Amino acid sequence: MLPESIKHGDTVLEARGITKRFPGVLANDQIDFEIKAGEIHAILGENGAGKTTLMNILFGLHQPDEGELYLYGKKVNFKSPLDAIGLGIGMVHQNRKLIPAHTVIENIILGHPRAGAILNLKRAGREITELCDKYGFKIDLKAKVWQLSEGEKQVVEILKALYRGAKILILDEPTSALAPPEIKRLLDSIRIMTVDELAIVPFITHKLPIVFEISERVTVLRRGRVSARLATTETTQKGLAREMVGRDVIFRMEQMTVEKGKSILHAENLVAFNDKGVLALKDVSFSVQEGEIFGIAGVSGNGQQVLAEVLAGLRKPQGGKVILDGADITHSSTLDFWMKGIGYIPSERIDVGSIGEFSLAENFTMNYYFDDRFSRGGIVDYKEIRRLTEQMISEYDVAAPGPDTTAKSLSGGNLQKLILARVLSRKPRLLIANLPTQGLDIGATEFVQKKIMEAKKEKAGILLISEDLDEVLSLSDRVAPMYEGEFMGIIPGGEARRELVGAMMAGLKPKVEQL
Amino acid sequence: MKLGSFEVKLEKRVALRGWEATLISIFAILFALVVFSYIFLRAGVDPLTGYKAIFSYAFTSSFGLPLTINRFIFLLLCTYAFIIPMRAGLWNIGMAGQLYAGALSAFAVAYAFGAKTSQNAVLPAGLVIPLMIAAAILGSAAIGAIAGFLKGRFNTNEIVVTMMINFITYWVVARMIKEGGLFMGASGEGDGFKLPESIYAPLIEGVPFTLFIALGLALLLFFLFAKTSIGYQIKAYGKSPAAAKYAGISPFNIPLLVFILGGLIAGLAGYHYFAAVPGVYKITKNYGEFGDLAFYGIICGLISQGNSLAAIPIALLFGGLTNGGRFAQGKLKLGFGIDYALLGVLMITLVAFQFFYRYRIVWVRTPGKEASDVGIHG
Repeated sequence: MLPESIKHGDTVLEARGITKRFPGVLANDQIDFEIKAGEIHAILGENGAGKTTLMNILFGLHQPDEGELYLYGKKVNFKSPLDAIGLGIGMVHQNRKLIPAHTVIENIILGHPRAGAILNLKRAGREITELCDKYGFKIDLKAKVWQLSEGEKQVVEILKALYRGAKILILDEPTSALAPPEIKRLLDSIRIMTVDELAIVPFITHKLPIVFEISERVTVLRRGRVSARLATTETTQKGLAREMVGRDVIFRMEQMTVEKGKSILHAENLVAFNDKGVLALKDVSFSVQEGEIFGIAGVSGNGQQVLAEVLAGLRKPQGGKVILDGADITHSSTLDFWMKGIGYIPSERIDVGSIGEFSLAENFTMNYYFDDRFSRGGIVDYKEIRRLTEQMISEYDVAAPGPDTTAKSLSGGNLQKLILARVLSRKPRLLIANLPTQGLDIGATEFVQKKIMEAKKEKAGILLISEDLDEVLSLSDRVAPMYEGEFMGIIPGGEARRELVGAMMAGLKPKVEQL
Repeated sequence: MKLGSFEVKLEKRVALRGWEATLISIFAILFALVVFSYIFLRAGVDPLTGYKAIFSYAFTSSFGLPLTINRFIFLLLCTYAFIIPMRAGLWNIGMAGQLYAGALSAFAVAYAFGAKTSQNAVLPAGLVIPLMIAAAILGSAAIGAIAGFLKGRFNTNEIVVTMMINFITYWVVARMIKEGGLFMGASGEGDGFKLPESIYAPLIEGVPFTLFIALGLALLLFFLFAKTSIGYQIKAYGKSPAAAKYAGISPFNIPLLVFILGGLIAGLAGYHYFAAVPGVYKITKNYGEFGDLAFYGIICGLISQGNSLAAIPIALLFGGLTNGGRFAQGKLKLGFGIDYALLGVLMITLVAFQFFYRYRIVWVRTPGKEASDVGIHG
């Protein structure tokens, strides 16, 4: 089926009039697009724009209700991903589909037609090493997958697809979990692939700058339809966002200076272990003032989660002190942390931040069952909480029929708005926002950032933990890049150079004059 | 499935209303009775005669009804002992052990007041009865607390712990009432000693006063879960321990609390059956059968979905059927185990019908293609 030779610019895959319906939903509506050999063609769209459906159709997980797919000019009909893989389509999932306990090489050859009953690991190893050398991937083939970073796991998925002979590579949110240096390496490798006439199709939700760095052409989806087809040289971030959202979007929050008040939080020499018993927080000290956003930049897994949990009273530190408004609360209960004015927005919004089977009002009760204004003599005033929930739903523009809907019926962005509304409605002294915009689309991200800025204006102290460098830099008054459980320094936010912070996130401790 | 221009489909329910759940349960019971008719027919009995024998004995006969009521009280208490931990997502399989502990504690008080010496001993009922109840509550709560403590402190599986404690307490009772045990009865037939008449639990219209404790608990528990802060914390922990911890709900206190409360109520069931039911007033040698009966509390709890008010009719039904089924089996000369078979069929159907708590059957007109353009999916 694969043609003998592919020339640069040949159309390799073409979709015509792809339409896919789900009960009550039109997910893809007459989508046309084509991918050429040696081209990087990004597909852009917000959550719910139909990206996932389209991706699943290209990979054979779904069959379109209408429309056709043409591969090298011949009509194809994928019944399952196996058909797609067999015809040279490779998929790199955002949620990695690897076996953690197996080695890199075992994962790569898993399911390969040539890996029959008897494994020839030596030959496979040789071939995979050749691929690595060709595209500039550096990875230890004998390492177990659980030992790898997110970036390395992605490399394994890419290698797996290439080893199966993929000529068209679909990348689902390729940069969302990577550190800046890893992103650069990935982009370099992808560019070499295009020289080899591979076609690369990254699907992107929120990281717009990457679209410009990576791709030549971009197809924007909105509400299941193609809203624009552009060359990246012809457009701007603002232009792309307008096509995605359907209105103008603010990118960089206007920095505003709020007169800093007294210091709210002091963290002194905090030391703590993570769940695996590994020292994840090594002697971290800092303070947060009223009306200040203190940003922590870093790739997940460098101790931010443990730090957030210690400061939210969910994890007891092995050493050090948490001081809130002058009082040592290190050994207080989680409930005390809430009652003394700490508000925590957890990164795990489904498993920790909300209870799916509870109604929205019952979810609000999570932060009010102990509050004298809503609970007297051990009796909860559900009527009053329901009223508050109703009010906050409209104030925070949560798309929900009412306070009695279950939380699990909300989309990710709306759930985050609900959690934000709940925590901010307590008017916390210190707000800890852990990855508050992760996975949200542009519209919801903008909303969340706006609300965080409003809290700052009202003189709350804010600890912002984010993997998104642009977010940390644009929102924070001061930034602490975190690496392996330590701050690599604390630098003023406005002046922080992207490259410097990126390097610090990767473990560089700058000399004073560099700051 | 297609029928003409209509299609029959299963649809996920968004919410289940109380009356819908009631209707589904009633259908389930009727369905079970219809299915079980086959067994009556095989045994050569007209199903109507069979059911009439069961239900008339259980609910209308002057012999059967009091027995039904006593079983109902016992079952309802066991159901509540199960429901409270269930709302916290925990499984109390230890009602048997907890009720044994309750009964032993109550009889220890009676023993301390010299109840064993003579059937005619005149004891201060106003003092001894409240003390017996208090002891039953404390003893069973303490046994329940073990599972709660281990769960909260070490995350030990509560099912295993409560189950093991059942075995231990079973043999502790045997040690106490048999072969020279401290609470051995005078008859020497393996029963425990009989309470003196002066401390028989009071009867109201021939019914032990424990009925009102059980019904009072029904209201109390309903209130606990619908209105109180503690009830909310238990429910939140039950739905998601991680989210509950985040909200400041103690992952140690909640398991401990629900097992103390559950154990305490099981202790009342122990007091009820061995010290308040007319004609018993002793720890009987077949006490193990009551331990087994306590497991019906699990079934009643599951069927009522943790709703203490819904548990009332269900416990009444099971109380009546265990009682009437055994009677009908004798009267109609049916084979051994027919009563258990009926209960089994009923339980399976009730649990199977809970499918309809989550799904409903809908008839839809087969849609034209243009009808589906609403909203967007990702």
